Amino acid sequence: MNGWILAATVALGTGLGTALWGVATGPLRRRVVAQNMSTALACPALLLLSQGYARPSYVDLALVLALLGPVGTLVFARLLADDLADDPPRAWGVTWVVAGFGAVVVGAVCAATGPSPEMVKLLVIGALLIGGNVLASRALSGGFPGAGRG
Amino acid sequence: MADAVIVVVLLLVGATATTAVAVRDPERQALVLSVLGVVLAVLFTVLQAPDVGLSQLAVGSALTPLLLLLTVRKVRRRAQDKGRQE
Repeated sequence: MNGWILAATVALGTGLGTALWGVATGPLRRRVVAQNMSTALACPALLLLSQGYARPSYVDLALVLALLGPVGTLVFARLLADDLADDPPRAWGVTWVVAGFGAVVVGAVCAATGPSPEMVKLLVIGALLIGGNVLASRALSGGFPGAGRG
Repeated sequence: MADAVIVVVLLLVGATATTAVAVRDPERQALVLSVLGVVLAVLFTVLQAPDVGLSQLAVGSALTPLLLLLTVRKVRRRAQDKGRQE
C-alpha cells in the first residue's frame, strides 16, 4: 500500500462517509448538496487510485465521472425544482472546499506524471470537475431562473 | 494492509445500500441510489474491474435517478388527474 492509495482511502472514507450521512438525513436541500458533493469527491479519489495502482488507463473513470456527475445533479435540480424553489440550497463553502480538494489532487497527480499528453488529460479532468461542480451548485441554488420550470 | 481500501469501500457500499432501502420517499431514495451508483463504481475500480466500473458510472450516476424521478412524476400526475375526475 503506497501513499496514493492511503490518501484515496482516507478521502473515500471521510468524504463519502460524510456525503452518505448528509444524503440520508436532514431536509431535501441538504440531501441534493450531499449528492453533488459525493460525485465531486469520488472523482479525485479515482485519480488517486489510478496513480496508486500505476495504471494510467484508470483515469478514464475519473473523466467519465467528471462529465456525468454534474449531469446527474442537473437532473435533480431540474426535476426537483418545485420542491427546492421554496427553500433553495446554499452551500458555497462546501462547494469551494471540495473544488479546492479536487484542484490539489489534480495538481499532485500532474506533478507525479510530469509533462506529457497524460498531463493534458488530467488538466482537462480538473477543469471539467471544478467547472461542472460550480455549475451544478449554481443550478441547485436557483442560479438560473426560468430554467427550472416544467 | 493493502486490502484496507477494499474494506473501506465495501463498508461504504453496505451502508449506502442499507440507507437506500431504509429511506421511504421515492425522490430521496433516488438521491441515495445515485450515491450508491458512484460508490459501486469505486468498488469495481478497487477490485481491478474498471470496465464494469465505467458502465456502472454511466448507468448509476445519472440514468437510474432520471428514470426514477420521471416515473414518480408521471405516477403523481396521473393520480392528480384521477382525483380531479372523481
